[in-house]
Amino acid sequence: MLRLIFLAQLAITLVYLRRLGLLFVLGILLVLFGLYLWTITRILRGEHRKLSPDDMPWLYEGIVRMANKAGITTPEIYILDDYIPNAYSFRNSIVLSMGLFEVLDEEEILAVAAHEIGHIKNKDTILFPLVSYGRYFMFALALLNSLISQEALVSLVSFTFYLLYEVLRSDYLKQREFKADEAALRIISTPLALKRALEELKYYEDLRIEVKESAFPSIEPEIERPHQRSIFDTHPSYEERIWRIIAEVEAMNLRERILN
Amino acid sequence: MQPHEFKLNEDGLKAVLPPMEAEIMEYMWKVKVATAGDVYEYLKEKHETLRRSTVSILMNRLCERGLLKRSIETGRGGMRYVYSVATSKEEFEKKVVENILNALMSNFKEATVAYLSKIKK
Repeated sequence: MLRLIFLAQLAITLVYLRRLGLLFVLGILLVLFGLYLWTITRILRGEHRKLSPDDMPWLYEGIVRMANKAGITTPEIYILDDYIPNAYSFRNSIVLSMGLFEVLDEEEILAVAAHEIGHIKNKDTILFPLVSYGRYFMFALALLNSLISQEALVSLVSFTFYLLYEVLRSDYLKQREFKADEAALRIISTPLALKRALEELKYYEDLRIEVKESAFPSIEPEIERPHQRSIFDTHPSYEERIWRIIAEVEAMNLRERILN
Repeated sequence: MQPHEFKLNEDGLKAVLPPMEAEIMEYMWKVKVATAGDVYEYLKEKHETLRRSTVSILMNRLCERGLLKRSIETGRGGMRYVYSVATSKEEFEKKVVENILNALMSNFKEATVAYLSKIKK
């Protein structure tokens, strides 16, 4: 669906702006590609340290085992010097913050890593940047179409496409999070460890907000996701994910009982 | 570290720090260096429902307040954060007294001087 809206926006631009539209499209694509290249060279900073097999054998071997099970090449693992628990993936790499190691046990950390392996397996590390840059592209075209064509209908349709893209993008990204959880459940040895990890991370975020709100004046990094959920949220809530994990684990157990 | 609040009806460190942070600091002043896991294991005996997240958040908050320092230790078993005390208990107490007296002197100078001379006698 996202692809269709994207193509429709492109078609409007080319139909109404013709050659000028094509030039703008190529120009915007070039700028976005440059931005992408600039960003990927800056993902790894001084705070990232590449994990070797000897650093944490349980983690390294666990990730190798899960990557094999998922059918992907072993990702590179980076440890981020950040006390706030966090994990993310890019290309074929996984980043785990040191904060995770303070609040989760080994099984739970492996479950978080499995979720990131799920993203890599599902090709999200390629799709997410495309979808994210797509929104800038959609907005730039909507702006150009309304400024240059100066037709109310073209502006209206073009901006409607842009808004539709934003709403569908959020839903798409949420669905990909659920899919990464599903992939993780198939490769971890204790499926409920993922649920436990999410419960602890939810507790951490809630408590941090509570502490921050009752705090004396001090420097507090801005890490919390917004409390108010909106149609533009790109992440499902912890509750939604936990609920789905319980349902999926129940279904997996049932399938196993039937097959045995 | 600058204490911003003094609770008249609390004892000891709890007068200037939230209760759990005060307990963490008492332990840290005793051991000087510890991981959040060590502190969690120690406090867990007294507070059964305590979670690792709580200890981690509070210890990092104490770092931001300048009472603890966080560093990375690399060794067998991988990397981990190690916390150490940034100020001694005596220095901290001295700072608390200085801050409170400064506040009293700027807001209630005459009464403070009168009271200090009275207790000096």
